[in-house]
Amino acid sequence: MKKQIFLITASILLSLQVQAGGPWPQAAGNGFFKLSEWWIVFDQHYTDEGRIDPNVTTGIFNTSFYGEYGITDRFTGIVNANLFSRNYMNNLVSNTTGETLQAGEAINTIGDIDISLKYGLTAPGNRFPLAVTLTLGLPTGKVGGGTQGNLQTGDGEFNQILQIDGGTSFKLGRNTNSYVSGYLGINHRTKGFSEELRYGLEWGIGLMESKFWLIGRLNTVESFKNGDTAANTTNTSIFANNTEFAGVALEANYYLTDRWGISASMAGAFRGEIIAAAPSYSFGVFYDLRR
Amino acid sequence: MTMKYFCITLLSALTLTACIQDDIVFDTVDPEVRISRAVDTIAIDSSYQFEAVYLNNVGVAELVDILWESSAPDVISIDNNGLASALQTGSATISASFSDGTTLVRDEVEVHTGEETVAQAIERSGVIQTTTFYQLEGNFTIEQVDNDLLIEIADDYVASSALPGLYLYLTNNPTTIANALEVGPVQVFEGAHSYTIPNVNINTYNYLLYFCKPFTVKVGDGLIE
Repeated sequence: MKKQIFLITASILLSLQVQAGGPWPQAAGNGFFKLSEWWIVFDQHYTDEGRIDPNVTTGIFNTSFYGEYGITDRFTGIVNANLFSRNYMNNLVSNTTGETLQAGEAINTIGDIDISLKYGLTAPGNRFPLAVTLTLGLPTGKVGGGTQGNLQTGDGEFNQILQIDGGTSFKLGRNTNSYVSGYLGINHRTKGFSEELRYGLEWGIGLMESKFWLIGRLNTVESFKNGDTAANTTNTSIFANNTEFAGVALEANYYLTDRWGISASMAGAFRGEIIAAAPSYSFGVFYDLRR
Repeated sequence: MTMKYFCITLLSALTLTACIQDDIVFDTVDPEVRISRAVDTIAIDSSYQFEAVYLNNVGVAELVDILWESSAPDVISIDNNGLASALQTGSATISASFSDGTTLVRDEVEVHTGEETVAQAIERSGVIQTTTFYQLEGNFTIEQVDNDLLIEIADDYVASSALPGLYLYLTNNPTTIANALEVGPVQVFEGAHSYTIPNVNINTYNYLLYFCKPFTVKVGDGLIE
């Protein structure tokens, strides 16, 4: 009897961070590393029909490490790890009597870890680079936590994403660097989860002589809806499958020194199915070995 | 070194803000008195013990002094403890009431006298309705089968199979599962099916409640008429 639990938002947005860097592999010996805190607190979600319904206030906080390292000029190794993940739900308190109707709970564990290998299909320096990335999603987080089994820091399944990125860089005006990229990927999931189609666009602009980067992203996840649901399994504790999502994200990176910098971002879904209806935020520090 | 302390301070501060707080549930319901054990006909020169329960403003039973009255005490008399005696041929309205000083709540039943005591044939029914954007609807009936409660969901029932962890409860407060009786996980999402709940009186509860455990949120309900 299967018991399947999915992470409403964190796994999707976490794996979306893997797309950082687009079709440009790191040069051999170069790298980019970031330690950040990502969080979302939501009291409503998108239903299976894309409408918005309430839920108990739920929070997910992830302390994450992201690292890219150029193994060769074409091969880049990437790790995206939730080193510490906290998931909690609020108490439910009676407005009439003040009693706690249902006590809130929290779990704190390591979260899921993604390991990727990016390969540049085009030679370094190509004006229109292409790269392919294979990501392995390791289910190192906890599923079924709490007395109700509804707290989690991972999705509990081993997934593989094959993705192709393409893009180009250019100058806006005389001194402003910019780039655009896009990606298309397939997420193969296990343990009865539906496969997903993922695609998106990214546009980045470097201001102040590339000390300050603004990045805008459009990300979409479409479900093939070929996995299990509560209707075809005898275990009614199964979480619904078939999450879908379209959202935008805005990220700002500022170099405090040639290599060290701070990063902040926010993201939100403007449409979705079985996903949190609230923005997520991230703040962190990065180290750029490329400079 | 400065960057290291900055990271530690920032991450510690953000993690500490992830504290469990309170979500307020507006769970007030109208208090009521409900005659939970009744009869259709009492044999003349015999007695029958009525029972009633007072449910407070969150739907929880409270022990209070119920006032029992008969509209025709020369036909059916009733004492302060709800013990009724059938005296002569006829009918009477038996009522149970309670006042907390500001609000009077009352329930009543029509009772006849006759040659033999006849149990009240009770079948209750209602309509399941969603209170969210998830699909949930259908008709149902409830009947007492010996000491057990039989809930029969009609063929027009349908529920979204995307609902995670959907459970059915019996309750007197349709806003919360606190003090509710868990019937069990929903395993049928379309068509007729039934639930048998042992040792439950048909008049004990007034609502079916559908509740999503993982999201800790109500999905729908059905008032039992």
